[in-house]
Amino acid sequence: MGESSGGGVLPTPESTSIEVMAHLKAGKCTTVELIGHYLRVLETTGRDLGAAVEVHSDSALAAAQESDARRASGKPLGKLEGVPFTAKMNISTAEGTTDAASGMLRGFKANEDSTAVARLRAEGAILVGKSNCDEFAMGASNESSHHGVVHNPWDRDRVPGGSSGGAAALAGSFGWAFHLGSDTGGSIRQPAAFCGATGLKPTWGRVSRRGLVAFGSSLDQIGPLTRDARDAQLVLSVMEGGDPLDATSQDFDSVKTPTETSAETISMKRIGLVSEGLTDAIDPEIRQRALEVTEQLKNMGHEVVEVSLSTLSKANACYQVIATAEASSNLARFDGIHTGQRVESEDLEELYSKSRRQGFGAEVRRRIMLGTFVLSSGYIDAYYGKAQQVRHEIRQEILSALDTVDSLMMPVSPFAPFKIGERVSDPLALYACDILTVTANLAGVPAVAIPCGFDSGGLPIGLQWMGKHGDDHRLLDLATSLQDQDDAWRGLPPGGSQ
Amino acid sequence: MSWTTVVGLEIHAQMATQTKMFCACRRGSSASANESICPVCVGWPGALPVLQSEAIRCAIRAALCLHCDIQEFSRFDRKNYFYPDLPKGYQISQFYRPYALGGGIPFEREDGSPAELPLVRIHMEEDAGKSVHESDGTSRIDLNRCSSPLLEIVSEPLTMTGKEAASCVRSVRDLLRWVEVCDGDMEKGNLRCDVNVSVMPEGSNEYGTRTELKNLNSFVSIERSVLVESARQIEVLTNGGEIRQETRLWDQDREITESMRGKEDSPDYRYFPEPDLPVVQIRSEDIEEQRAALPEMPEVRLSRWLNDYGYPQLETVPLMARRANGDYLEEMIKEGADPGSASNWFRGEILRHLNDRSEKIEDFPVKAKDLAALIVAVKEDRFSGGRAKSLLQEALDPEVSLESLIEAAGSQEQDTDALAEWVDQVIAENPDAIAKIRDGDMKPMGFLMGQIMKLSSGQAHPKKVQELIRARLS
Repeated sequence: MGESSGGGVLPTPESTSIEVMAHLKAGKCTTVELIGHYLRVLETTGRDLGAAVEVHSDSALAAAQESDARRASGKPLGKLEGVPFTAKMNISTAEGTTDAASGMLRGFKANEDSTAVARLRAEGAILVGKSNCDEFAMGASNESSHHGVVHNPWDRDRVPGGSSGGAAALAGSFGWAFHLGSDTGGSIRQPAAFCGATGLKPTWGRVSRRGLVAFGSSLDQIGPLTRDARDAQLVLSVMEGGDPLDATSQDFDSVKTPTETSAETISMKRIGLVSEGLTDAIDPEIRQRALEVTEQLKNMGHEVVEVSLSTLSKANACYQVIATAEASSNLARFDGIHTGQRVESEDLEELYSKSRRQGFGAEVRRRIMLGTFVLSSGYIDAYYGKAQQVRHEIRQEILSALDTVDSLMMPVSPFAPFKIGERVSDPLALYACDILTVTANLAGVPAVAIPCGFDSGGLPIGLQWMGKHGDDHRLLDLATSLQDQDDAWRGLPPGGSQ
Repeated sequence: MSWTTVVGLEIHAQMATQTKMFCACRRGSSASANESICPVCVGWPGALPVLQSEAIRCAIRAALCLHCDIQEFSRFDRKNYFYPDLPKGYQISQFYRPYALGGGIPFEREDGSPAELPLVRIHMEEDAGKSVHESDGTSRIDLNRCSSPLLEIVSEPLTMTGKEAASCVRSVRDLLRWVEVCDGDMEKGNLRCDVNVSVMPEGSNEYGTRTELKNLNSFVSIERSVLVESARQIEVLTNGGEIRQETRLWDQDREITESMRGKEDSPDYRYFPEPDLPVVQIRSEDIEEQRAALPEMPEVRLSRWLNDYGYPQLETVPLMARRANGDYLEEMIKEGADPGSASNWFRGEILRHLNDRSEKIEDFPVKAKDLAALIVAVKEDRFSGGRAKSLLQEALDPEVSLESLIEAAGSQEQDTDALAEWVDQVIAENPDAIAKIRDGDMKPMGFLMGQIMKLSSGQAHPKKVQELIRARLS
């Protein structure tokens, strides 16, 4: 990167957040210069990709000035001092809108930071904008947003994955910043894999959900999309922990700083390669890559054993029932009376149905109807009740597998990023994106996805590891040790940073 | 054929907590519409409910006084339905795993015999807001009440009359008030009741089809609606008709029940476990803590009063009506008043004052300790009853303290020399009255007493004065 307008030297585009902090600490450029340039990246690349839907220039530059002033006066600095970050459109922020990429919430201002955002800001991180996503985080291709589609930075004709497609496209195309996404059935990991970024779905309850527009409450988690696992670990360590405003949040131990990580300290020695993640249903190049990484892990001294998860094939059906059931209830509040766009009508019934028909997009309406159906009298036992039983089985199987190995390894997506529009009219083809990711959400366990090379078409391949509840940091240690093997993950897409 | 009426109750009681159930907003706020609300209770996107522990403590006390089996683990569920005063589109309730099972409501049969209405369960839930429908066709919504903590007390069906059903609800109200769980104000809707009514031929043990009556906001409406609805059902059955399982609205003015919706139209609430709230754990320590904090229960207090104080049953009715009444009475007795006088003063002076103003004992401006001192003074003959009552009247002015009044008044003049002066002066000034009394007409006696009291500025002890007059005239 060349000189900034202020005369300082900016970090290279692929630099991680931790490297950017070191750069600022060394005084090579000011935070104002750094943030100023990153805002331009959002305005150009971010907007071009459809990934950045709001750029908060004024508030971000003001925060950067304050940060520079703190640094100049020798005041204590935060753990993320001066690092830019974005929040997904379904994560509440004091500035800007939080519309969950839905016409229903067009212009909705939360006016208050979610707990995760507030904690990050308290440690010096600077919110620079909001990222695009699927409407109400429902989707795996970022094609259902009322802000429009997002393009994959590695091939702009292809989807970035979803629902955190905007966050992943930003993380995949340029460094420096980290990006908050949310993961209900793979919405952080799958787009991270599609865009060559690192993504973490924390243990359910580790990061407060307060301020996250709910989709499937028992599955939702806020998590980071970053360049590497070290950044993810730092971001997690700042935003994790019990929140009095989220009764389901709690403290987990093993909080540590990323600098402690080294190959010697990796505690996850035994790795289970999930055989059901390597079937014919999975793209052969992705399978091949998984086997290569397995060899790499063995060379690093890990023991890799094959593990069978018989419930994996049931997970997606189970997920579709539970996620839609909870969504049908969570989205009931958007009724045009208190929250959501109102279509004025003659009577109440008509007001509800017109407001909701007009406010919600087709995919959201489909899921609300599905969720309403599976909870309906006469069907609830056969669908929701059965799904709860299966969820219990999945959880039990994952936990007993994790008694024999430290982590479970699988590809993230069964296939490479597909063309924009290719699956949009076939919901079942879209739901197939989730088959390998929903298990972690149903079991509530953490899962990290990291970029592991490219296929023959030059598209990123991502692999994921799941751990026991609370094992987030141990998983990130493992991911860091893999990323320390070579610099392949550092490469940015050609033209991605223009 | 003779018919038996079977009644089941669903009682909603708003818990008298400081805050709402899942946020720190004030409950029962008198603020103007939509002033006592926050993101949580209006279901703002991203806001999450957090159970306030005060609601649990209240719920435990309710379950204890109704002798329920408190569950160590219970859970909240979502009851889904659309209504403008329900901003989340669902109500947080307990459907699958309520916190209390069993128990019963003690009540009195019409013949005076004691009975118990067995309970199925009690569960916690949040209240909805209020819709206010204006005459011009517009509707307004006030969410101040939204998410206030409620208990729903569900009974088994039992053979009962309307009067007995009302007596059950009264019993619940009194008990919940007693343990400070609910203020029991039916006019404000803080205690509401739905009644299930069915009839069956006398001697049968198979319940008939029931209807559910709504809109019952007084004891009278409960009593009358059961009577009217059971008569309607009997008439339908007698004429060969069938009872439809349905919800009916009570019209208090016309004294009829009207069909609201049939079973087939009843909403499908799609209950499922509330994922935003963890399982509720009530440990035995929590229960014991609340048990220890319970006041003396009414049946215990009543039998102690009957046995130890020798109160006649009837006399205890106003004293037992509210726990605070008895607490005040007990405080007077503790401070030295004898139980008999304490009861007399309470039922006389105090209740008259309170009833005139529609106030409660908590509003009474005189401290129990001071009133006890006055009662003791009368007992010790330092004041006459009349003088004491006028001192109490003076002390009803919140600016005046009875304690200092008693102190200032010292005691009424009993010194015969001082009294003799006043008596002789009045006798001298009123020869006509004296003549009448000498002739055996005792009527002017009161007039003379009044003159002497006036002359002495109330200082003269009336009993002594009377003795002196008699002595002078004999």
